[in-house]
Amino acid sequence: MNTVAEAASIDAHGDSLWLKALHKFRRDRVGMWSLGVVSAYALVALGVVLGWWANDWAAVTGPKWAPMSAQYWFGTNIIGQDIFARALYGTRTAFEVGLIVALGATLLGAVLGAVAGFFSGTFIDEMVIWIMGVLDSVPFILLVAAIAYSLQGSPWAMHVAMIATFWITTARLVRGEVIKLKGLEFVEAARAIGVSKPLIIFRHILPNTLHILLVQATISFVAAIKSEVILSFLGLGVKEGMSWGLMISESTFEVLAGFFNNFIAASILMFGLVMAFNLFSDALQDALDPRTVSRP
Amino acid sequence: MDILQYSIRKLIAGIPLILGVTLVSFLLIVYFGPDQTYSLLGKNPTAAEIAELRSQLGYDQPFVTRYLQYLREIVTLDFGSSQANDEKVSSILARTIPVSLALSLPGFVLGNLLGVALALVAAYNRGRWLDKFIMGFAAVGMSISFLIVIIGFQILLSSSDGLDLFPVRGWDTSTPLQYLRYVTVPTLATVFVALGYNTRFYRAVIVEEMTRDHVRTARAFGIPQSQLFYKNILKNSMIPIVTRVVFSIPLIVISGSLLLESYFGIPGIGYVTYDAIVTGDQPVLKAVVALTAVLFVVAQLLTDICYRIVDPRVSLK
Amino acid sequence: MAKPATRLLRATRTKALVCRVLIGVFTACLWSCTPADADRDAGNSPGGLKVFRYSLDSAPSSLDPVRASTLYANQIVVVLYDTLYVYKYLQRPYEMKPGLAAAMPEISEDGLIYTIRLREGVLFADDPAFPDGKGREVTADDFVYSLKRHFDPATRSSGAWLWQGRIEGLDEWKAAGSDYAAEVSGLRALDRYTVQIRLVQPYPQLVYTLAMGFSGVVPHEAVEYYGREFSINPVGSGPFRLQSYDATRAILIPNRNSHQEPVDLAAEGYDPKTQGELGLEIIDGRVPPFIDRLEISFVKEGSARWSSFTKGDEIQYTGLPNEQVPRVLESTNPVKLRKEYAERYHMRAEMEAGFVYSAFNMDFPELGYNPDPNREKRNHALRCAIIKGVNWNAQNDSWYAGLGTIFPGIIPPLLPEFDSELSRASVTYDPEGARRLLADNGWDAANLPPLTYGTTPGPTSRLFFEQFRAWLMDIGYPKEKVLLKTYATFGDIAKAWSNSELPLVSKGWGLDYPDAENTLQLFFGPNAAPGSNDGNYRNPEYDALYRQAAVMQPSPKRTVIYRRMNEMVIDDCAAISGLSRVGIALWHRNVIALPDRTFVGGRFLNYVDILPPAGADAAMAK
Repeated sequence: MNTVAEAASIDAHGDSLWLKALHKFRRDRVGMWSLGVVSAYALVALGVVLGWWANDWAAVTGPKWAPMSAQYWFGTNIIGQDIFARALYGTRTAFEVGLIVALGATLLGAVLGAVAGFFSGTFIDEMVIWIMGVLDSVPFILLVAAIAYSLQGSPWAMHVAMIATFWITTARLVRGEVIKLKGLEFVEAARAIGVSKPLIIFRHILPNTLHILLVQATISFVAAIKSEVILSFLGLGVKEGMSWGLMISESTFEVLAGFFNNFIAASILMFGLVMAFNLFSDALQDALDPRTVSRP
Repeated sequence: MDILQYSIRKLIAGIPLILGVTLVSFLLIVYFGPDQTYSLLGKNPTAAEIAELRSQLGYDQPFVTRYLQYLREIVTLDFGSSQANDEKVSSILARTIPVSLALSLPGFVLGNLLGVALALVAAYNRGRWLDKFIMGFAAVGMSISFLIVIIGFQILLSSSDGLDLFPVRGWDTSTPLQYLRYVTVPTLATVFVALGYNTRFYRAVIVEEMTRDHVRTARAFGIPQSQLFYKNILKNSMIPIVTRVVFSIPLIVISGSLLLESYFGIPGIGYVTYDAIVTGDQPVLKAVVALTAVLFVVAQLLTDICYRIVDPRVSLK
Repeated sequence: MAKPATRLLRATRTKALVCRVLIGVFTACLWSCTPADADRDAGNSPGGLKVFRYSLDSAPSSLDPVRASTLYANQIVVVLYDTLYVYKYLQRPYEMKPGLAAAMPEISEDGLIYTIRLREGVLFADDPAFPDGKGREVTADDFVYSLKRHFDPATRSSGAWLWQGRIEGLDEWKAAGSDYAAEVSGLRALDRYTVQIRLVQPYPQLVYTLAMGFSGVVPHEAVEYYGREFSINPVGSGPFRLQSYDATRAILIPNRNSHQEPVDLAAEGYDPKTQGELGLEIIDGRVPPFIDRLEISFVKEGSARWSSFTKGDEIQYTGLPNEQVPRVLESTNPVKLRKEYAERYHMRAEMEAGFVYSAFNMDFPELGYNPDPNREKRNHALRCAIIKGVNWNAQNDSWYAGLGTIFPGIIPPLLPEFDSELSRASVTYDPEGARRLLADNGWDAANLPPLTYGTTPGPTSRLFFEQFRAWLMDIGYPKEKVLLKTYATFGDIAKAWSNSELPLVSKGWGLDYPDAENTLQLFFGPNAAPGSNDGNYRNPEYDALYRQAAVMQPSPKRTVIYRRMNEMVIDDCAAISGLSRVGIALWHRNVIALPDRTFVGGRFLNYVDILPPAGADAAMAK
């Protein structure tokens, strides 16, 4: 496999890995399109945060199960709340959950993975591997329930639980990469001139794993949104506000009565974001892969 | 003999993991799990009754005592009885694990087989529209929530509003035909959801193999594409594929699928586990956690052995 | 290919083969290893086997009478076990008749001594627990034993509260170590078939308690034989015995040792005017049970249950899920099925034995009792304002399909002491009046106390909260002061109630017997948390009246006292109350029964009959 170090070197055209990736990405039509969709969602979420729309998502104003109309774009739910407003608010929750979990899991995974990889074979490495194995084996729902309880039902319990499980994949990948990297010459050189270990890890090695981290972050984002649906359905998820998972769980008994709006609204919005993000993640991965050739 | 020695050594090395998992889980269960007392009390309890019940449930003993008791239970494989309905935990497990297996295995096998097959087709036609179509389909499969798929399939295939071909819920394995009737819809739901992930992963692995030097050499030698695929690429891809398959087994065997079981009324381990977590039924939880840990260690061992068989370069040190 | 590569190939090929073989072995194992259901019928088969497929919306917690605290457990326990008294199958309002007992009890003048004679010749079901596998006769000792079990800490009984502090010597027996060989002075078998109960003070509801699942009679041999597993290996003298039981289904078959009298419809309270179209005449004069097999499915999800019910060859009984109401009912007042459903199903609109209400926690000084009399007055106004601000009709429409019955106070309509003349002011939606009350008593957005609403997880509970919050916001509560606290399980929220942690306790209460004492005790001072008086209502006048009525037999005088107590609770604005839900029960036309989830409960299963296929086809075709 081509090494990262090789790709990171400046080539004849003066492009680093990142610029190359950017070029490649720009050419990927599917990638650009999906980025556009994700940005649109992000804008919606931002708007909710800034209060531009969906402020009255909790207001009980309409009749029970009103059909789609000019006033209620998606109709109303069983107590008369505007489904469209709730779905918009759900976008904000999705981004909140996704971003926090993606950031947290990636950071945690990067740090622990790098430390384990750098000190591979030693006790520190064994400890980290052991922790990863332990967390992997504890049933996810047990972990979420326990964390929710210990945090006294705080709304962040779900995020903490997800971060506590999602970091593991990232850490494994980073660890593998770091093990490969630390045998390279530039690390040897750094050590030779006396750079301290933490500095080596964080300033020299870790940045070379950024491509892994980026892709893993996007994967975690998607996984977080999808897990939230199931967790909210089980009652262990979102506590305040509204989310797509809550809407879907609310709709599980409505759909058999022939009222699908709640279900469709949340499902479509969620599917749109997740699909776009997945495609974006793919395109990102392709762009960052030093082996796919691009024309300058 | 070599392998046996290696296995034993690995199993022993897995003991810290089992201890770790059980300790962490037990901590979670004891300190952060629900207090089952209040769901077992009747109306109008007195303070004395509450204290009595708590003592009956073992809540007033010190943590270390209870943890040591837990370890003893693991070794003797006797976890006592469920506190919710007094059934012996071992009989609960013996009753529900085969059901969860029977439920998940078809979907698991099909999902992986189909995944490999689709991945092969996609990789074979890399870059062409068939590849894009399959990957697009995979992306769709990855983007739909399992819950939505379950509800949708139940309405479409089983209910009298839809095609009405299969039972809505229930479980019966007395004859193969009955088994097929009950397992089809859950299996379809599982495959639908897993296929996306599997196909993508396997395709990535196969493509990785395809770009290797020895494959390029073989191609340069003029070996036809199909033979290439089967003889060179697929075999070598087996390592990561098998790793992934074996690693997902503990999850399937022990955790079962909670959603499938509760929606289709299948008396499996997933539902029992979830109930135990939510009500704080400690004996059941302890058993499930211990079993998962052991299976995890065994799975790790199996993959290591597989590596050894497949790649002689990997040493057994 | 080079040698190492061939070895590699062979190795991988072998491995793939091994994998395939393993999988094959696995599957073969499964087919032989999974327990096969004994002769599963797909319907009323031509073999003539009559099968009734009943459904409950939750699995019972235990089949041991000592822990039959939920409605679901009770439903099954009363067909597996006999109780001294039962409710007449068809009589409405409900009336008792002897079950295991030979006649109604002889009660002494002072109301303290009950002498009950048992029927002779009633046998327990055959079971390996008995010495020769054959069920023996039920005796008075068995009843004494069964009741004693409630006071043995090892059984973790949830029914002891019914007799706690009531029966002479029983509490002392427990304190002395629950030795079954020791006699209890107030609970004795005078001879083989006679039971005598001596009470500490008159207990007019005693006979009712002897009809509840809690007082099911169990044989000590089975308890000793099965130990802890007795709760899943029931051995009783009831009309059915258990064949198999798991988390999704229970299968019961008739108890061969049970010999009942032929059904006398008139004596059971048959009323052709209201029950005529159910086809019950065919069971008159025949000996129950009439079915060969009873399959009870436990299906929590309403949608799955409804799908299974409408399929035709699966479950034959279901409660109508609320979301189906617009589709299935033509009107809710009166309740009428749409034509296509009326042709296929029988229907009963059944008011629950119970009600839903929210009690204010009076121990919270911000809205309940307060040492400062002025503040207490303002708190009273606050509570009354909140009560005015609750829109019961909207709640009824959203959650109970408009079928529920809203009533003032805490005596639900199902009870004989219900007062239909009582003023409905306390359940009339009056947001304007609420706002005025708040303003007049110095309440405003700044000084209103925060209100935490506790729920358990579930899609509807959040919406409940949002609806409640919207009402409070309408009368002046700021959004941030109405908070939601979600507890992971029912046990957790019950614990919070017991520890008096929530200012508002919203719950449903199931009636144990048709006597208002059962609901009035919810506000009896000494029953304060951890007891069932979660609102910690302490009114000495109320308590005095309660004690006075507690020893009175049903009478107009007692009803007056009950109603007076009801008015006290309303005047003190101690609770937002109440609504009795009405469930629509549907069952297939070929099933002849009057299902009941209240006091007759699961005992109705004893009288279920299935029309033969010819009749069924005619009924269900079209």
